Amino acid sequence: MWRAFAGLVRKEFLQVFRDPNMLRLIFAMPLIQLILFGYVTRTEVKRIALDVYDYERSSLSREFVNAMQAGDYFVPSRIDAPLVDLEDRFKAGTSEMALIIPGDFSERIQKGAGVTLSLVADGANSNAALVGLGYAAQIVRKFSKERTALHSPIEIRSTVLYNPDAESVYFMVPGIVVILLTMITAMLTSMAIVRERERGTLEQLLVTPISRVTLLMGKIAPFAILGLAEMAFVLTVGVLWFRVPFVGSPLLLLGLAVIYLFTSLGVGLFFSTVTTTQQQAMFFAWFFSIFAILTSGFFTPIANMPQWLQTLTYLNPMRYFLNIVRSIMMKGAGASELLFDIAAQSVYAVVIFTFSAVRFTKR
Amino acid sequence: MRRLRFIAQKEVHHILRDPRSLTIVMLMPVLMTFLYGYAINMDIENIVLSVIDHDRSSESRRLDERLFHSKYFSRPSVAIDERDPQRILKAGQAHAVLVIPPGFAAALHGQETVALSLTIDGSDNNVAAAAQSYIDQVLARYFIDQLPPKVSLPGVTVSPRILYNPDLKSSHFVVPALVALFLLMVSALLTSVTLAREKETGTMEQLLMAPVKPIEILVGKLLPYVVIAFIDALLVLAFAKIVFGVPFVGSRLLLLGLGLVYIVTSLGIGILISSLVRTQQVAMMLAATTTLMPSVMLSGFIFAIKNMPTALQLLSRIIPARYFVTIIRGIMLKGAGAEVLAVQGISLIVLMAIMVAIAARQFSTRVN
Amino acid sequence: MKEHAVVIENLSRHFGQFKAVDRVSLTVSRGETFGFLGANGAGKTTTIRMLCGLLMPTSGGGSVAGFDIATRPEEVKKHIGYMSQKFSLYPDLTGRENIHFYGAAYGLARTVIRQRLETLAERLSLHEFIDRRTASLPVGWRQRLALAVALLHEPAILFLDEPTAGVDPVFRRRFWEILYELAEAKITIFVTTHYMDEAEYCGRISIMHQGRIVELGRPFDIVRRLDAAGLEDAFISLIRSREATNA
Repeated sequence: MWRAFAGLVRKEFLQVFRDPNMLRLIFAMPLIQLILFGYVTRTEVKRIALDVYDYERSSLSREFVNAMQAGDYFVPSRIDAPLVDLEDRFKAGTSEMALIIPGDFSERIQKGAGVTLSLVADGANSNAALVGLGYAAQIVRKFSKERTALHSPIEIRSTVLYNPDAESVYFMVPGIVVILLTMITAMLTSMAIVRERERGTLEQLLVTPISRVTLLMGKIAPFAILGLAEMAFVLTVGVLWFRVPFVGSPLLLLGLAVIYLFTSLGVGLFFSTVTTTQQQAMFFAWFFSIFAILTSGFFTPIANMPQWLQTLTYLNPMRYFLNIVRSIMMKGAGASELLFDIAAQSVYAVVIFTFSAVRFTKR
Repeated sequence: MRRLRFIAQKEVHHILRDPRSLTIVMLMPVLMTFLYGYAINMDIENIVLSVIDHDRSSESRRLDERLFHSKYFSRPSVAIDERDPQRILKAGQAHAVLVIPPGFAAALHGQETVALSLTIDGSDNNVAAAAQSYIDQVLARYFIDQLPPKVSLPGVTVSPRILYNPDLKSSHFVVPALVALFLLMVSALLTSVTLAREKETGTMEQLLMAPVKPIEILVGKLLPYVVIAFIDALLVLAFAKIVFGVPFVGSRLLLLGLGLVYIVTSLGIGILISSLVRTQQVAMMLAATTTLMPSVMLSGFIFAIKNMPTALQLLSRIIPARYFVTIIRGIMLKGAGAEVLAVQGISLIVLMAIMVAIAARQFSTRVN
Repeated sequence: MKEHAVVIENLSRHFGQFKAVDRVSLTVSRGETFGFLGANGAGKTTTIRMLCGLLMPTSGGGSVAGFDIATRPEEVKKHIGYMSQKFSLYPDLTGRENIHFYGAAYGLARTVIRQRLETLAERLSLHEFIDRRTASLPVGWRQRLALAVALLHEPAILFLDEPTAGVDPVFRRRFWEILYELAEAKITIFVTTHYMDEAEYCGRISIMHQGRIVELGRPFDIVRRLDAAGLEDAFISLIRSREATNA
């Protein structure tokens, strides 16, 4: 029985590495995703083009403009044009925010009166506007406290934990891990099984004394191994190249990844029982993955979705695993903090895998 | 002229008879608009905030009310016993923890100073930034309301004003850009597949032998797709207005004109792609990877171009969608006029000219 | 090992209303070469699949190598070799890799496989192409590889489903020479074929038509009984008359 299992695994690996389609998927996917989510899909808001209309041009106002450059949040440009052109620059997309410093800026500060600056934001880019206003308020508050004798008696001291540099790639890499694991196992497993059926070799296999169970295990083991290998690869690149933090326990992550594997392998198994060609299997797995990713909280927080969609996401096994990976990597969360997600994940793994395995062995 | 119409009609026949491409063309735009408008919602709301109030004054309670009155924050679903912000965040019970120290009320009445501590989970950088921003706003407004009338805030403060999208709805940001994508999909993707199919089945050769001028063939074949592209665009715009409330402030004529330029550019790309491939499948893959994907990534559709590595920023300059996205947002949301959009417009026209020249040469080499 | 290699009694398989196999009974003795003939769609492949444990009978039953096909299919599989119409080799693997894999599937140790592979390679002249991917091989060579796979675990009974379809006469002849050698070694061979000359190599044959066995016996006896010019004639006239009575 072990010989048969080993033979199956060896055969599968041989076939995978001789199939150009699969090779493309295995090697190109992680690289593309890493480049894409590491470099292109930057969601952090930085280098906002800020027009400064400085009607005073004193040393203090210049200091203020310099202060606005702190943290790379803004790229201020001094504008000499009249105020009426403000909107034109917004419309052309040349600038995103405008700050107006009145002519009595220093005077008012020295007199002890307050000074209110007008800050205009281009709301078309809603996210940048929101975040930009927040940054501006922070910088102004700091300036006010340091340069004027006056400040509000109520202060806010903020600490940002886990990702103080607001690097979106730290947030993305766990997502890549989850996506890859899912796609590799679901897609490739279903394709491999369907391919056997397409070629007629499945029948030849069934004539041998290999039990259905051994066949099942022999089919999924290679892809489980591949999936974990890819995960290790992405994590290594993420940590070493992108400097993504890994605060928690790798062992815990591995254990929970194995549990998740049962879910995605189960899904792949299921697809193999309802499709007849490799193309079909690939499409099914592809659509499932895309849908799962979009509703897993990878791109946008689940809390932002409409209520009905939020409830639906509880049915998405990926959601729990994504949270687990993020929490372990970025916060160093342990099993006790992740109980709910672990429980949900385990339930899904058992249910989905058993269901698909039974379906598979029955045929 | 008659021949042109005949070819166009035949093409329409083809399209109507193929239910698959029809669904792609009609159903997909609506579905995708729906998907992008709702699922990929960047408006950060319902941030789970835990407020730990050590002051327990009526003032602090009022602040608490203010915080949760808006849609920005929600209370944690389960009551939190934990008092250590770090542990709360680690367990994922809240996105942010605000601790109101004792002496808050006293500080408000001018006696002492006091510092509120805000601890934010920075994992999702956008949520973190939004949380910071919202709390700033709420606190600032709260403080202003506390002051006696006619007394201005000490120190330097900011009075923000938001133009064009005062409710900061991300659907306003995303949906107009979708039009750019759909136009591209129809003009480049579909046409390249159609032209490739003709090549595959050999009917293109047949057509070329008929007493029809090649230019008539081309225009006749592509005309239905231009129409479809427009219908799609109108569909998305209608959807945008009705479902998401996206306004249309500027000149429809300007958008039409520049839209046409954009469509012609995309058509050129479609023709070019079809001339390089032999089968439909390859045409679809090539079109998807060279037009759709880069446009989604590098047009400023969702991701800010200026935050990308320089190489990618340069690459984005030859992507027509980049200019059209700025144009359509400018016209729809901000009422931008021709003078303001001159740079984008001219860049787009230049790209169109280049594309048409290349495509024309490719097509005529094939004819001869 | 019992005297009879294959025993089937009233074996039937229905697919809904359609009776693919309708109360088939026959016995094959050990060491016999039995030809299983019939027109396309007569039910030959379905019968073989039931005998190999791939399909459950709807009614009736039988035993192969002494094991009941309905209750002990796993035991049956250990004692038979099967060569399907398509030769079912993995196209992206070499002949050697295919053989090693199927050997492992039958629970053979690597050393054992290697030994037997050598013997088989000698016997079936596989050396020339055994390390090439099977996808690139012509039909005749794939046929020999498939036979090697079927023989690897030294089964007592061989089921061959149209093993020479699409193969040129030279290979066919060589193939049957090998089968003769196997028969001399007391291996039972159960083969379906469309080639009447091959049918004449068999000890006994049966002819199936629409799920039923309509003739059974030695080729020579059948020809004489039907007063035909040869086996092919006998076959054709038999089928034709059956069609006529059904029409």
